[in-house]
Amino acid sequence: MLNSPQADTRPGEVVLEARGITKRYPNNVVALDKVDFQLRAGEVHAILGENGAGKTTLMNILFGVIQPDEGEIYLYGRKTRFKSPIDAINMGVGMVHQTRKLVQAHTVLENIILGHPKAGRLLNLRKVREEVEEMCRRYGFRIDLDARVWQLSAGEQEMVEILRALYRGAKILILDEPTSVLTPPEVEVLLNSIRHMAKNNIALIPFITHKLPEVFEVSDKVTVLRRGKVVKTINIREASMKSLAEYMVGREVLFNLTNPKVNLGREILKVENLSALNDKGVVALRNVSFSVKEGEILGIVGVSGNGQEELAEVLAGLRKPASGRVIFDGQDITRKSVLERLKMGIGYIPPDRLGEGAIGNFSLVDNILLNLYYDKEFRKSIFLNYPKIREYTKRLVSEFEVITPSVDTKAAHLSGGNLQKIILARVIPKTTKLLIANLPTSGLDVASAESVRNRILSCKEKGMAVILISEDLDEALQLSDRIAPIYEGRIVAILDADNVKKEEIGAMMAGVSQ
Amino acid sequence: MARLEGLSFKKERIIVLTGGRAVKISALSVAFSFLVFSLFLYLEGANPVEAYLNIFSFALAPELGLPATLHRGLFMLFSALAFIVVYRAGIWNVGMEGQFYLGTIGAFAVAFAFPNLPSPVLIPMMLASAALFGAGYGAITGFLKGKLDVNEVVVALMLNNIAFWLVYLLTVGGPWAGSIASSSRPLPEPARAPRIWETPFTSLLAAALAVILYIFLKYTPLGYQIKVYGGNPNVARHVGISSLKVSVLVMALGGAISGLAGYHMWAGDAAFYLIPRPEAYKAVGDMTYWGIIIGLICLLNPLASIPTSIFIGAITVGSTVLVRRFRLPFGLDILFLGIITISFVAFQFFYNYRIKMRRG
Repeated sequence: MLNSPQADTRPGEVVLEARGITKRYPNNVVALDKVDFQLRAGEVHAILGENGAGKTTLMNILFGVIQPDEGEIYLYGRKTRFKSPIDAINMGVGMVHQTRKLVQAHTVLENIILGHPKAGRLLNLRKVREEVEEMCRRYGFRIDLDARVWQLSAGEQEMVEILRALYRGAKILILDEPTSVLTPPEVEVLLNSIRHMAKNNIALIPFITHKLPEVFEVSDKVTVLRRGKVVKTINIREASMKSLAEYMVGREVLFNLTNPKVNLGREILKVENLSALNDKGVVALRNVSFSVKEGEILGIVGVSGNGQEELAEVLAGLRKPASGRVIFDGQDITRKSVLERLKMGIGYIPPDRLGEGAIGNFSLVDNILLNLYYDKEFRKSIFLNYPKIREYTKRLVSEFEVITPSVDTKAAHLSGGNLQKIILARVIPKTTKLLIANLPTSGLDVASAESVRNRILSCKEKGMAVILISEDLDEALQLSDRIAPIYEGRIVAILDADNVKKEEIGAMMAGVSQ
Repeated sequence: MARLEGLSFKKERIIVLTGGRAVKISALSVAFSFLVFSLFLYLEGANPVEAYLNIFSFALAPELGLPATLHRGLFMLFSALAFIVVYRAGIWNVGMEGQFYLGTIGAFAVAFAFPNLPSPVLIPMMLASAALFGAGYGAITGFLKGKLDVNEVVVALMLNNIAFWLVYLLTVGGPWAGSIASSSRPLPEPARAPRIWETPFTSLLAAALAVILYIFLKYTPLGYQIKVYGGNPNVARHVGISSLKVSVLVMALGGAISGLAGYHMWAGDAAFYLIPRPEAYKAVGDMTYWGIIIGLICLLNPLASIPTSIFIGAITVGSTVLVRRFRLPFGLDILFLGIITISFVAFQFFYNYRIKMRRG
């Protein structure tokens, strides 16, 4: 095979080593803090971590997408700098992304040779086919090389990407959330191939957030990242799933907000046996029931993709439930539209700020108007009362401490933290009874996240009912009065946040049964 | 970065495009297309300066081309507005042709049904009917787009074709057939558009619509909802703006405006006062596509599209002198319009970038 500079590596030899890798982002966020990592030939070395733990940054550094600020990478014992992914590929590092990077209309074989240095010149397809077939045999892949990619299942498409990386001569393979979109039988097949590859001296680094148990099956070693630091590197034989979940979420409490107790009022929201499908038509939410009272924060924690997104959308009116009822303030709102819910005093803070929460090329005034356009207060006869809307925006900008040159600035020019403040300023003042905050602090720097949390607490103090959806257990514990871990569409338990063990919830989130 | 004899050029991104810069770039692109077309004129043996002077003196002379310039230009304005209101919602309206044909059917049906009504009653009825027919036709596209996410361009193009044949069925040997083969009976006297300043009153209606549309889009809650949907349909969904409602609304509005052109074109020009032969009404229908180009050139601003439409109208009408006075081949006028369009589009690069030149 071509392009494998270190064609023969002995099993157990260190092939890749990262020493003291540090990466800082502009707003003083330290994404990686002196990360050490060692990978041996034929080893499956998983990297675990929650969202925001620094996995993506590490992955991008190992694949040459970004450069570390400090630290060195050694490849086969030689100090190396990947200036770009091309460098990494040429030196035998392959990557399989979470989102597929394939040409849908082309065949499997065509996709495998895509980007290969031999392609583009005269191509001996028969020889290539033989090589790829031989590779499939060696690693135990079963795939029709002439099938078009769009005809393949998600699992088969992943195989194609792996084959492509191997055909380019990868000896080290980075897998980003390899099992996240696969069905259980496909996972089985993938895990088998991983075993085959490891046996053939390929080193694999799966990066994992969820689906702990599956990874457990094939990995030799696990490195757990948390807030940019390596918490633990451990042989899988010495680890238990419970201990891994614990390392992932940590034990220490990092912030110190005061979470005041508010006298609970009426029951504002009652959800009965709610089920919903996701966009692919698969059941994502199964028979969920709970209730929230005035002056209470209910935290729903789980790793992403466990149904919390669908739950939030059903509550906001964005998704029709498959069955069950939503009772709001004594009234059945299961069939009510988004606008009706907004007018009733239900506010929703969506997770994707520029995709769902704000319009980038609109001014702040026009963004704030998103929650005012239906309000007669802000009209003058049949027209929008722009002077009043402008004044109102100015007041909110100062009240929510948004840092911006003016209210005419485009939302896209604000930092993430300031943008989130604008979204809060748009939603919260018009919310009177129920606030649903879906990942309100994800991707924010520490100070902004703190201010968002304070804002959510003050909603509760004002007597609103709040549903906080979070992937960050510390945050959820800090803010919530009651906490409900969610796993595979089911609420595992609803617990009083005051006397609950963090490890216990971490295990529930990871799907480890009690 | 490119190098040239010790000079270096650098591309720089422009973050905020000011109105002034947009106007300046548009003017420069027109100037550029005049230069390019000069080359063709020269190759055909005409003096470019003389040709241009003839084009514009003809198109703008009140006793010669001006009435036609205004009539054709403002006809294209209807299409431009019909395109703009829809594209503000991020949806492509390429169905102006079909909506215009339906407006034609709507207007003529009323006129033929009530030929004896007095003008002040008949004309408003014709206009309302034209708008309604156009709106209904546009709404089909909007409904399919909003409800089932069917591609609006494909649907509209198919509907354009259907509309063409509907008119054909009615005129060529159909119930509206006139004494001249393959064109319709003439419009009854009271149905013909009264003239103000030598131009049918519907020209002023088009200009007024542009102003109303500008205000509607900028200052009303509905206009804002259209803009939000165009800005990001997903955000719109999150604040309770329905995709179906917006798609149907804008397509119906666009269709209504296009439909009005069905009255303006045939009832506003003494050369017609009827639906002409299929090739002729198809040629007029093809002019509606200029609405897309005008709308895009004007960055979806209805006010800016008034002068732009008249300008395009002037060139359409004025270029006919190239054939008549200069004995140049047919089709040069279309070449000229093509060059202007391509030049406009190419110059949009400068909406987003400026080129910095440095020594060294």
